[in-house]
Amino acid sequence: MRYRVGGIALLGIAAWLLPYQLDSYAIHVVNVMLLYALLAVGLGLAMGIAGQINLAQVAFFGVGAYVTAILTTKSGWGFWTAAVVAVLAAAAVGLLVGLPALRMQSHYLGIVTLGLALAFTNWVTNSQLAGGAEGITGIPRPELPGVDLSSEYLFYYVELVVFAVALAFGIFVVRTPLGRRMRAMRDDALAAGAVGVEVPMLRMTAFLLASVYGGLAGVLYAGLIRYVAPETFSIANMFLLLAMVIIGGRQSLVGCVVGAISLALVRELLVDYPTYAQVAYGTVVVLTVVFAPTGLAGLPTRVAARLRRRGAATAGSLRPFQPYEEGPAPEGGDLLAVTALSKHFRGVKALQDVTLTVPTGQIRGIVGPNGSGKTTLFNVVSGFYKPTAGRVVIAGRDLTNARPYRLAQAGIARTFQNLRLFAALTVRENVLVALDRTRTLSSWRYALWQVGVWRHDRALRQQADAILERFGLTDFADNLPGALPYGIQRRVEVARAMAAAPRLLLLDEPAAGLNGEEVRQLAEIVRSIRGAGVTVVVIEHNMGLVMSLCDRVTVFANGRIIADGTPAEVAVQPDVVEAYLGDSTVIEVPKEVTI
Amino acid sequence: MQVTIQTFIGGLSLGAIYALVAMGFSLVYRTMGLVNFAHGNVVMIGAYFASTFYLSAELPFALAMVIALVVTGLIGIVIERVLRPLENKDFDLMLIGTIGFGIVLEALAIIIWGATGRAVPSPVPGAPLDVFGIRIRTYDLVVLAIAAAATAVLVLFLQRTKRGAAMQAVAMDHQAATAVGIHVGRSNAIAFMIGAGLAALAGGLVGPLLYVSPAMGGTLGIKGFAAAILGGFGSIPGAILGGLAIGVLDSYAAGHFQGYSELVLFLVFTVIIMVRPTGIFGERTVNRA
Repeated sequence: MRYRVGGIALLGIAAWLLPYQLDSYAIHVVNVMLLYALLAVGLGLAMGIAGQINLAQVAFFGVGAYVTAILTTKSGWGFWTAAVVAVLAAAAVGLLVGLPALRMQSHYLGIVTLGLALAFTNWVTNSQLAGGAEGITGIPRPELPGVDLSSEYLFYYVELVVFAVALAFGIFVVRTPLGRRMRAMRDDALAAGAVGVEVPMLRMTAFLLASVYGGLAGVLYAGLIRYVAPETFSIANMFLLLAMVIIGGRQSLVGCVVGAISLALVRELLVDYPTYAQVAYGTVVVLTVVFAPTGLAGLPTRVAARLRRRGAATAGSLRPFQPYEEGPAPEGGDLLAVTALSKHFRGVKALQDVTLTVPTGQIRGIVGPNGSGKTTLFNVVSGFYKPTAGRVVIAGRDLTNARPYRLAQAGIARTFQNLRLFAALTVRENVLVALDRTRTLSSWRYALWQVGVWRHDRALRQQADAILERFGLTDFADNLPGALPYGIQRRVEVARAMAAAPRLLLLDEPAAGLNGEEVRQLAEIVRSIRGAGVTVVVIEHNMGLVMSLCDRVTVFANGRIIADGTPAEVAVQPDVVEAYLGDSTVIEVPKEVTI
Repeated sequence: MQVTIQTFIGGLSLGAIYALVAMGFSLVYRTMGLVNFAHGNVVMIGAYFASTFYLSAELPFALAMVIALVVTGLIGIVIERVLRPLENKDFDLMLIGTIGFGIVLEALAIIIWGATGRAVPSPVPGAPLDVFGIRIRTYDLVVLAIAAAATAVLVLFLQRTKRGAAMQAVAMDHQAATAVGIHVGRSNAIAFMIGAGLAALAGGLVGPLLYVSPAMGGTLGIKGFAAAILGGFGSIPGAILGGLAIGVLDSYAAGHFQGYSELVLFLVFTVIIMVRPTGIFGERTVNRA
């Protein structure tokens, strides 16, 4: 920590003294480089942190620059007032460009944002207002009392301050709840929704952040060059920016900055051979995605991991689960009531007219052959599928058709048949995402009251450590889940679900792949969870576990309920034996991903 | 009315080009889930090779096209081979990798042929036909005929040959295809080669219609990709319909909004795709993201 503070201080001093070492051309290069770094941080936030492919960053940059230029030259506004409006305009454009992200992701989003960026260049090249292909000249120089900003040396300090604040803010976002939710969304949007992350709002936030960074860079560009023209905001520059972020390492903001600075330097060295520079950086992008997907920023960890593999692995151990304190006896009433629920996929009737009530405080088992609709039921109840017909009522509230995150906020937590942990988040962060109940709308605090955000984060971390302690996972808190044994990953998923403090816990085949001892521990954990007042519905094929754990068992076959009763009653019903237990003598083939 | 029909006819030939580009996108996408952002640049390379051999070497247009097809097919194989480790794994990284290839191809074109473009004269001389007062360029008819023939050959290949059936199988389930003894890597390489060949065909044909320049790849690629998405990504009929739709839309936008045609085109495209993200024919490989 002390080294880090020292390092940052040294970097700061070096940056402060830098202009004294440079001639007037070099300082210009450095100024432009800082703008690229600022743009790269914004792009990194959207692409690397939130996983939103954004090929319109250069358009946000352009909006910032052009609005400043138009307002100062055509309307005669002062530079700084124009600058504020320009950043706001960029933010508004960012929200508009982000709208498609609500409906599509990945390559679709890539092409739509790229198309919109082209639309922007097309507009500025043709518009009278934007000066057409010649652009706008004669932007007045920005004025600060007592500082002559026409000097590039002094302008450097303005840029430096803006950049430092923007980078620090970006890193602050990444490390606190907002950024954590974004990273969770990037790793697995479905699972993020299931733990209460407001995915649509977060996608918009990602574009908002990217566009504000772009707008800021645009304003500074207008102040620095005092001339704007369409070719600065071309697709070629967009790809250059993309290369900076990919080569630097998109998941690390510092990596993005390193990428931007190094690529800008290389480009400057090859300034007489721009096409060869283009060949070089294109090649490096290809090599990076194939051989080092985490970019320059990821190299230290990769090297360290390789070295560690040679040495002895220092693995911790899974500690015993510490039971929850017995909660008050549950109030009566049904926590979950599903009425006449149907779900059809084209011709396939996955659920037909299913009616099911689970009283508060019960452990309900759901069994049935593969493909009988059990997981579909979970997917409808937790909001991933919209039912074809029927209603889902939770604790008296009709939550049919609610979004997954709404349901999570209403007290439903679930685990997944095929484990959906956030792969690039540590075990602690996985739990933290679920613990965090802040709404995306309250993110205004990031702009105005950072101390509050920081305090909130510290409180969350304490709670997370308590949960990890309870589930015996303390030794693995800083591990990535993918590196852990399967049984421990299963337990992490249960811990994550419980971190959301649910009223209803849906467990989808929690014992799959566990050994005998782990199954016994699982039964103990589930009983304790129920003891704390949580209602549990569990899909399971391990009949021994179902018989000993569940208060009541519902049997599915072909999308319908064929039996319902205590484990002992159900196990002797002839149609159940035929439909399910008879089938279970057949060796089960591992299923493809069902969700 | 006459103007409207004239615009429509004018849009069709470019639309056929977009359809060829879109088919290349779709074919590669559905066999290996790879979205090839370098596709537009492969089109551009194809256009340059065809025009170079046609203009400088003075070969017959058809022969120049064949050479262009072979060269781009090789480029396709190289791209597939380099990005193979990412196949069926990381969508976004693959996408960025192909953007990297696109950057390289564009720069190489500038190094070889220079940054300024060239105009290619039409290989089919003759005055435009006059049908009920509507002028139809003969070359447009050639473009439409070749595009239709290429589509027919592709569909026949996919449906009637063993290799084509194997590619369909890989598209549906690459693990199951491996299990029945299909060499998935080879099948993917062939898909990529055909995709690149379609790109060269589109490039060669578009030469006399547009100006051939290193920057043409970006626009053509984006419009072709938009066409593929509009029709329903991964669907061959969708690619054709989407291509023609974008061509006609482009032509109307150019007629009514002059310089702003791209702005209008992409805004309309964005709105359509937001209303119906799966396109006209839906996505064959359902993406459960």
